[in-house]
Amino acid sequence: MVLTAKPETPTRGEHDRLLREAVRVLLRNWHGHATVPSRSLYPHQWSWDSAFIALGLQHISATRAATELLSLFGAQWADGRVPQIVFNPAVPDDAYFPGPSVWRSSAIDGHPPIATSGIIQPPVHAVAVASIVPRLGERGLRFAERAYPCLVDLNAYIRNRRTVDGGLAALVHPWETGLDNSPAWDHPLAAVPADHTLFETYTRRDVAHAGVGERPTDDDYARYIRLMLMYRDHGYDDDWVRAEGEFLVVDPTFNALWAWSELALAEIARRLGRDHDGHLAEAARITAAMAERLWSEDRGLFVACDVRSGRLLPERTVAGLIPVILPGLPPKVVAALIATATGEAFRIGAPDVHGVPSFDLTDVRHEPRRYWRGPTWLNTTWLVARGLDVHGHHELARRLDDDLVGLVAKSGFREYFHPLTGRGHGTRSFSWSAALLIHVLAASD
Amino acid sequence: MRHTVRLAVQEQYLRGATMIEKWDHARRLGFDAIELRGAGEGHFAARLDELKAAAAAGVIMPTVCVDMRHFVGDFDAEKRADALVQMKSQLSVMAEIGGRLAMTPASYGMFSKRLPPFVPPRSDEEDTEILLEAFGQLADHAESEDVIIALEPLNRYENHMINTLADAQALCEKIGSRHFGIAADTYHMNIEEADPPKAVIEAGPWIRHVQLSDSNRLEPGAGHIDWPVILDAVWAVGYDKELAFECRLSGEADEVLPVAVRRIRQSAWS
Repeated sequence: MVLTAKPETPTRGEHDRLLREAVRVLLRNWHGHATVPSRSLYPHQWSWDSAFIALGLQHISATRAATELLSLFGAQWADGRVPQIVFNPAVPDDAYFPGPSVWRSSAIDGHPPIATSGIIQPPVHAVAVASIVPRLGERGLRFAERAYPCLVDLNAYIRNRRTVDGGLAALVHPWETGLDNSPAWDHPLAAVPADHTLFETYTRRDVAHAGVGERPTDDDYARYIRLMLMYRDHGYDDDWVRAEGEFLVVDPTFNALWAWSELALAEIARRLGRDHDGHLAEAARITAAMAERLWSEDRGLFVACDVRSGRLLPERTVAGLIPVILPGLPPKVVAALIATATGEAFRIGAPDVHGVPSFDLTDVRHEPRRYWRGPTWLNTTWLVARGLDVHGHHELARRLDDDLVGLVAKSGFREYFHPLTGRGHGTRSFSWSAALLIHVLAASD
Repeated sequence: MRHTVRLAVQEQYLRGATMIEKWDHARRLGFDAIELRGAGEGHFAARLDELKAAAAAGVIMPTVCVDMRHFVGDFDAEKRADALVQMKSQLSVMAEIGGRLAMTPASYGMFSKRLPPFVPPRSDEEDTEILLEAFGQLADHAESEDVIIALEPLNRYENHMINTLADAQALCEKIGSRHFGIAADTYHMNIEEADPPKAVIEAGPWIRHVQLSDSNRLEPGAGHIDWPVILDAVWAVGYDKELAFECRLSGEADEVLPVAVRRIRQSAWS
């Protein structure tokens, strides 16, 4: 494929300005031990955000990047789960909904010494750790020694407490997928009652900081609250939730990142002089299970599976492209994924498309400004780009990297972007947007 | 973030009978510039001919760091007045030799609210009024000479008036002159700022000079400051002038300074 440069692609001279701005965002959003995703909308530490942030932060201070991740591991539960949110005890309970008094993590046996949410997020952390270790010089191995057992415990939790038939991990709440209100969850969520009387007790905080048209709807939010309250009221018991939870999906991105994290763990184990074959075998097992269970020949990408109804969910979302990150995929699967990514549904590399849209451009439900129902996000764009690199499609990967830089140059460090106009949406001074810009430009140096 | 830095060393560490010999030493140690020391009682102005000759010979001397017994925020009106005369003179000398900046704290060693008797003889409001008057005059003089006067916050044990970059920034904003700014010193910041890099970002363009010293007042690298992040913060606010070593040394200058210079350049390049 021949790609023509976009007219608005920033020059190298502008990179310097963007990097300085990105550093200012990350240093402002740092809170002594970790980075908030956004000082207004997300005033605590988020799990997968911290992994993406650490990838960029390592170029400013490897020490801070390591601290970011160790802080997160300091909130790991005894069962191995690394929580989606670690609450900052200095921030009022009602600054974010649902806050610590709703999650009530301290009521759980084996809870960490700080309040957290009770769900997990995609495991990108091992990749971040593996990236940071060499940057720490002689302290790298000490950091690896501390981080490795935490990462191993997390993956053991996923394997032992979250897998369903077929050996893939199942997620119990849309927030665990990272793509919270993805159209793929419309069908499984339809089985969950949307009880608006919950809003008599609970008040959304997110819509105070971003436009209503850019955030999930009240119907979806009522379902999110119901699901979290039920999981909480069953003591975050994974036997119960796998048997009876109202929402249970197998997501291709979560599982792909789980397999990717096993490859990163193999690299860390090698550095530590430990056996790494088990990690490689686990990555191969997950990859093969995904190809068997989640690959859709006629959709041309991976799809999620609704465990409750037993059906594959046909929506073409960016979550189905991200498994391209796995080196062990069959070549014909890789070829089909790239055809889908460049085809009508996502049109990556096309002159009028910025990055990777989060949802099928041709679907009537595509909403280019609403959270994960259409906009381009920089983390998912970055993941797809790295997958293209894995399989040797460097030119297309560079285009996505250029798009990532171009979106920031055009619209700033926004949370997400209109996939066709490039306009910014959601919160501003968003940490992973700054971190991934730094990481991409540092890699291109 | 990968960037390069310009480094200056204060002249007292340099050997040589003349500034040109000292410059040779500074270059051998790895520095790009010399920071002068500005003694009082007219001593600095008395060096004008020597400094002009050095500048003509290519010695880079962009800044002078005050080295006096009393300062513009002194409790004693006569001493304050003298400090103003001295600082204006130092600004004029810097203009004559092609330099860009002179710097001073509000005071040094005069009073600490953390040491007995704890309560200063002057109110905070009076302190502010005196500093606004002094730095207003100095900013006007700096503007007429087209140079910069910078206020250095000192830690709480050395000064009771201006301890943080935000303290200094408040004065800068009130005076509102492009010829008056902040001299940020990493040693004092390590004591006073909750988050030194964030403090640099917040002070932003008001920072007109930077001095480097580690957490223990020794040369950079001899303490526990996280140098990559503080250097990136300085870079991110667009400061591209000299970073001047103002520190004690953990050993012989010829041994410890070249190591510190390499460490700082490496930290900026990482």
